[in-house]
Amino acid sequence: MNTYEVFLKKDGKESFNHAGSLEAPDDGMALTYARETYGRRNEGDQMWVVARDSILIANQDDLKMADRSHKHNDGKLVAELRRSNRSSGEDSDAAF
Amino acid sequence: MQPSDAARELVLAFADDELCVGQNHAWWIAIGPFLEEDLAFTSIAQDELGHARSLYGLITDDVDDLAYGRKYSEYRSAHIAEMLCHDWSWALVRHLLHDTAEQVRWRSLLGSTWSELGDVAQRCLAEEQFHKDHALSLAERLLSSDEGNSHLKPVFVELAPLAREYFVGPDEELLATGVISVSKAEQQRLWLQELNEFFEPYKIELSIEDDAPSDGRSGVRSDDFSLLHDEMTAVLMIDPLAKW
Repeated sequence: MNTYEVFLKKDGKESFNHAGSLEAPDDGMALTYARETYGRRNEGDQMWVVARDSILIANQDDLKMADRSHKHNDGKLVAELRRSNRSSGEDSDAAF
Repeated sequence: MQPSDAARELVLAFADDELCVGQNHAWWIAIGPFLEEDLAFTSIAQDELGHARSLYGLITDDVDDLAYGRKYSEYRSAHIAEMLCHDWSWALVRHLLHDTAEQVRWRSLLGSTWSELGDVAQRCLAEEQFHKDHALSLAERLLSSDEGNSHLKPVFVELAPLAREYFVGPDEELLATGVISVSKAEQQRLWLQELNEFFEPYKIELSIEDDAPSDGRSGVRSDDFSLLHDEMTAVLMIDPLAKW
């Protein structure tokens, strides 16, 4: 048996979402079982069935780097700087 | 349209076949050969019960009463539909024989002069294609292995003649009034031709005797029916007001 991952999407809505996985003897049966296992209640209008072997898996350690807070810029620092520049009478855009 | 007695009898027999097969398939809930097959098979069971309900609904306002409240002699199910099949190879073989026949039977009702019946056929055919594909795909893979072949082949040879009962019964009036558009003899020929084409690579040839093997259509029940009927009416025995 091979393992497959199943993805579903509703027309005009969101992107493909992972519905779950299943085991099947081959690709043809995987499609058959995917429909009954994850689509029998019309959960999606489109379905992708992907052999798990075809999925490239990233190194988990690479994903867990220590401090990534500088990648989460929510604009607060810039907004504060502009506010203080304005209150001190400087041209607000000059600093940039 | 007010259905004739012949048309009513045709629908009742078809509905009873669907009720029995749906109920029998459902026996496999949670004990199918593996999880995915369990889900697929019992989802098909539910579809078959849905077909039965649509058909009963054409001839009664009280589906529960018609489905569960008759004397045994008033059921019209084919004996192969009543068969318990508590061995997986039997269940799979009956599924394949039943659904290949069922597709041919629905097709004979497309464009029926009884328009509500034609509409039901149209709706059910979409599901039927999936049921048939499921049965054929699984059988194809099992028959391709020596082990699967040795399990399934004798069961096909034994059960196929019983499935002929799906095509038994008078049809002159039904044809003349346009309730069906394909004679039962022709339906049986189409069904057998499809099966033999499917089995050809696996060296299985089905021969069907001309005499009907069983007489479920005339009101005689098989030995398995009483157990099946006890099971399908178990909830109703506890709560007579329970609904489907």
